[in-house]
Amino acid sequence: MPRFSFIRASYILLCLLTLSPGALLAAPPEGYRFLPLTAAAEQASAANKPMLLYFGRYGCSTCRKMHAEVFSDTAVNKQYNTEFVLAYVDTESGNRIRLANGETTTEMQFATRSRILGTPTFIYFSPEQKPLFKKAGFQSIEQMARYGDFVAQGHYRTMSLQDYLASL
Amino acid sequence: MLRIAVLCLGLASLTAQATDRWAFEAKTAVTGSPVSGVYPHLDGAGRKHVAVAENSVAAVWEDNRSRTPQVYVALKANDREQFSKAMQVSDGSEAYEPAIVSLPKNRFVLAWEQDGAVHARVMNEDGPGAPVKLGSSTSSHVSLASFGERVFAAWREQQDRRWFVKVAALRVPGARKLSVESVTPVEAAGLETRVLFPSIAVNEAGLSVAWEDRRAGHTRLLISHSPDQARSFGDPQHLNEFLSNRNQYDQGNGVTRVALASFAQDEILAAWMDKRRGGLGYGIFAALGSDGGAIFGPNEKVHGEEGDQQPHYNPAVAGNPNGDFVVAWDDFRRGDSDIWLSAYNEDEEWSQDFSPPVASGGGEQSHPAIALDNQGRLHLLWMERGDMDSPGRLWYSRGIPR
Repeated sequence: MPRFSFIRASYILLCLLTLSPGALLAAPPEGYRFLPLTAAAEQASAANKPMLLYFGRYGCSTCRKMHAEVFSDTAVNKQYNTEFVLAYVDTESGNRIRLANGETTTEMQFATRSRILGTPTFIYFSPEQKPLFKKAGFQSIEQMARYGDFVAQGHYRTMSLQDYLASL
Repeated sequence: MLRIAVLCLGLASLTAQATDRWAFEAKTAVTGSPVSGVYPHLDGAGRKHVAVAENSVAAVWEDNRSRTPQVYVALKANDREQFSKAMQVSDGSEAYEPAIVSLPKNRFVLAWEQDGAVHARVMNEDGPGAPVKLGSSTSSHVSLASFGERVFAAWREQQDRRWFVKVAALRVPGARKLSVESVTPVEAAGLETRVLFPSIAVNEAGLSVAWEDRRAGHTRLLISHSPDQARSFGDPQHLNEFLSNRNQYDQGNGVTRVALASFAQDEILAAWMDKRRGGLGYGIFAALGSDGGAIFGPNEKVHGEEGDQQPHYNPAVAGNPNGDFVVAWDDFRRGDSDIWLSAYNEDEEWSQDFSPPVASGGGEQSHPAIALDNQGRLHLLWMERGDMDSPGRLWYSRGIPR
């Protein structure tokens, strides 16, 4: 099965430098400060903040459901807008991404090679730009809050996400 | 473990049966050995990166060998074993997503995006003609189709915050001269929402252009037919059957990257990536159109059951006047990505998937482009990388019908 690996996710964060100027966001949730991936990675690095990378798709029904039922939550909004730098990639767009190794590719090809099977897919990164874990599909308000706490409060430094969730 | 072993044996057997369709010759390098920092791409709209003329085959791609992305072409004469040295086609700051088609008398027409505008030029074995700018400074995603001496280009363009699919009829009166006869928007009013990656096909019954359309609030594939050589277009029709209303948020499953090709005298093959299988990722689906694409039949799943648990990417299509047609794509059902093919069998059903031995095995083999000549020979161009992040190279192989 396609797999998420820290090596692949490291590539995601560390290799990206700039997005083409014409790159536009397709459909991230309203009320959130989602940025193109490179700008988000640079901002996260400069601010020493964790980053949430959201792979979405224009018209994705599960994304819409999360926007309406989860991202609309005031606490989720406050937590993620305050404690995270937010990045959005449209998995079907032709927006170009320029990589640090000199390669220019599209968001769609980037998502393909990152083995993103479905949307939404969320990848959490530590302030040290280390990919921590991936979550695919619908996530509830409670789940998003707990994932956010696990990363933003630094629990990832001492335990796995599974252990953290079991401890609650 | 036993179950896996049985499955593997079954897959090997199926593959052996299906590879009988074409015998592929040894692969030929289109680009040299991988160079650190150089990344070739075959990502054009409609995936028309290889074309066949009477005396030669041509491949077109983008890479950054000159430190910036530019478009290159290489030719292989039928009596030569190697491709020519890559020739740079674009001459701007950056260029992307090229396409190529052939014309009689050993000519090729190439199109690409350069500094945000779509360009085209004609070339033959002696070299290229002057480039011609087809679209405005906000045009991209160009695709080409040819039929006899007629050449058409389709692209997307943004004007005054509205998006258009535009189609140009091109004239190639000489060996290396190209001019624009007409440019017509498929929908005159344009759209507030984006259109993406149009693909075009033409035959004696007319011309069809299909694209990704976001006006419905999600992506659908629309197709429009022109019976009069791109002077007018019919109302766009749905190409993909979309599954919707599975919940209140669902307006339809995802679809993307449609490719068109003409086959027989008046038929059109369309293939695309389609997420109707839910959590399995993209499948490859197709539809066959008659009367030059004026009427399309039902959607058909192209890939077989043996790859049904995997996502599939980058579909390319080809057909010829004899009625042959084939779909190519890549997927990583074996771990690394390989090239896969399917065509109708004698029962007029999509065959078992088959992976040409030259385009499978170690490393990542991906991004196929294909052309079928009048003898039914399948010309296959693809990209190979050690892994998805490493420098790549392009290969070509010709499949001879058995």
